[in-house]
Amino acid sequence: MMNATHPDGKRGPGDIAALLARWLLGGLFIYLGLSKALHAAEFLKVVRLQFMVTSPFLSNLIATTAPWLEVLYGLMLVTGVGLEAAAVAGRWWLGGVFIYMGINKALPHPEYFLNLVRQYDLVTSPFLLNSIAAALPWFEVYCGLLLLLGVAVRGSGLVMAAMLVPFTLMVLKRALVIAATQGIPFCAVKFDCGCGAGEVVICHKLVENSVLLLLSAWMLTGRGRSLCLRFSLFPKRSDAPDYR
Amino acid sequence: MKGVFLEGLVVAVIGAALAFVANALSPYGLELTKNFFPGAKPVSVGVATGANVPGVASAQTNSPAETLAAQLREIGLQLADSNKVAQFFHDPRREQDWVIFIDARDGEHYEAGHIPGAYLFDRFRPETYLANVVPVCLTAQYIVFYCNGGTCDASEHAAIMLRDSIGIPKEKVFVYGGGIDEWSSNGMPIEIGPRNSGKFTNVNETATSGRAAGSK
Repeated sequence: MMNATHPDGKRGPGDIAALLARWLLGGLFIYLGLSKALHAAEFLKVVRLQFMVTSPFLSNLIATTAPWLEVLYGLMLVTGVGLEAAAVAGRWWLGGVFIYMGINKALPHPEYFLNLVRQYDLVTSPFLLNSIAAALPWFEVYCGLLLLLGVAVRGSGLVMAAMLVPFTLMVLKRALVIAATQGIPFCAVKFDCGCGAGEVVICHKLVENSVLLLLSAWMLTGRGRSLCLRFSLFPKRSDAPDYR
Repeated sequence: MKGVFLEGLVVAVIGAALAFVANALSPYGLELTKNFFPGAKPVSVGVATGANVPGVASAQTNSPAETLAAQLREIGLQLADSNKVAQFFHDPRREQDWVIFIDARDGEHYEAGHIPGAYLFDRFRPETYLANVVPVCLTAQYIVFYCNGGTCDASEHAAIMLRDSIGIPKEKVFVYGGGIDEWSSNGMPIEIGPRNSGKFTNVNETATSGRAAGSK
């Protein structure tokens, strides 16, 4: 996805698409970082209330550094500097986000998530509805752990991408209906989409999901496999992927 | 690429199995076979049973309260408005648990503030609360279920679940549409902590009502 080129040095259509995807991902990270930096007070509130960082020192430290780390990360992607390190950091970040979101849904009130899943009218059978609400959060935690540890990175990336696409479309559809019924601008729609982070502003959520999707796709290509438990345990496998 | 798909499939299958195991082991796990939304119809966005959903009521000819009352009638429940609920609250029969309130929210919200003397019934954890709630429901003449109000529909589902499982006659069961939000904004007393804790907010109303429900 990132900087692979043909042996003769020319870029193919796939390489150009990968380059554009990398720039897009970098741009989105820069946007997310700057939006947090520019709304520092709001982000600090999120750190304290949502991430439950009660220590004033720690919460201030996170609120002041995290946005600029995101900007820096975005710049690394845009410029192509330190891509392997960026890929590993991206894998950890993606894994961490999935674990956080999953645990938020599963503990201590999975019934809140059940209520939110029900709002989407996905299924009518109580058993299926309960199964989705019961299993999905833990499934996310599991995928996050695989990425964090570096086991089945490409498979996890594929599964995450396969989850993110329909979820994002469902959230988008619901936001469009809310905007239409309430007669408000699309980006003013704010609701709990059941994504594990409480109430979200839809436009911001769509950017976040695009970032998650692009990162999943990046993992799918085999990037970010340094410091993987899987290759530390089985370093000599002949079919080990190449580290382009 | 085939290998990636295979890897993804293995990840998905193992993950799904582990996820169900984790749910079963979790102390907060959901019971898969139980219907937590009895009597529920498909949800349209923003159109919960609450009376105050902005932008939705405009598409309807009836007032939000009338719409809610009609929706409740369809599932065999009666709507209690704030006047009716105040009447129930001040009814002397409440002393003998012949008129009872049931809070259909979870324990955290209940402890943060509930209608004085209300029983807690979290339908997601029925086994915890049934022993307390069933005997009083069987002897009560009127049972009023409530949750937060607005878009909250927990009170309806709890009412149907209890009504149908222990056979409470329909005419005894009421749902307070405005819920604790309306109760609080009307300046009615609110009990904090466990039932009969004796701790109240909106104390003036408690004093003027002539009785504290917590005395039961």
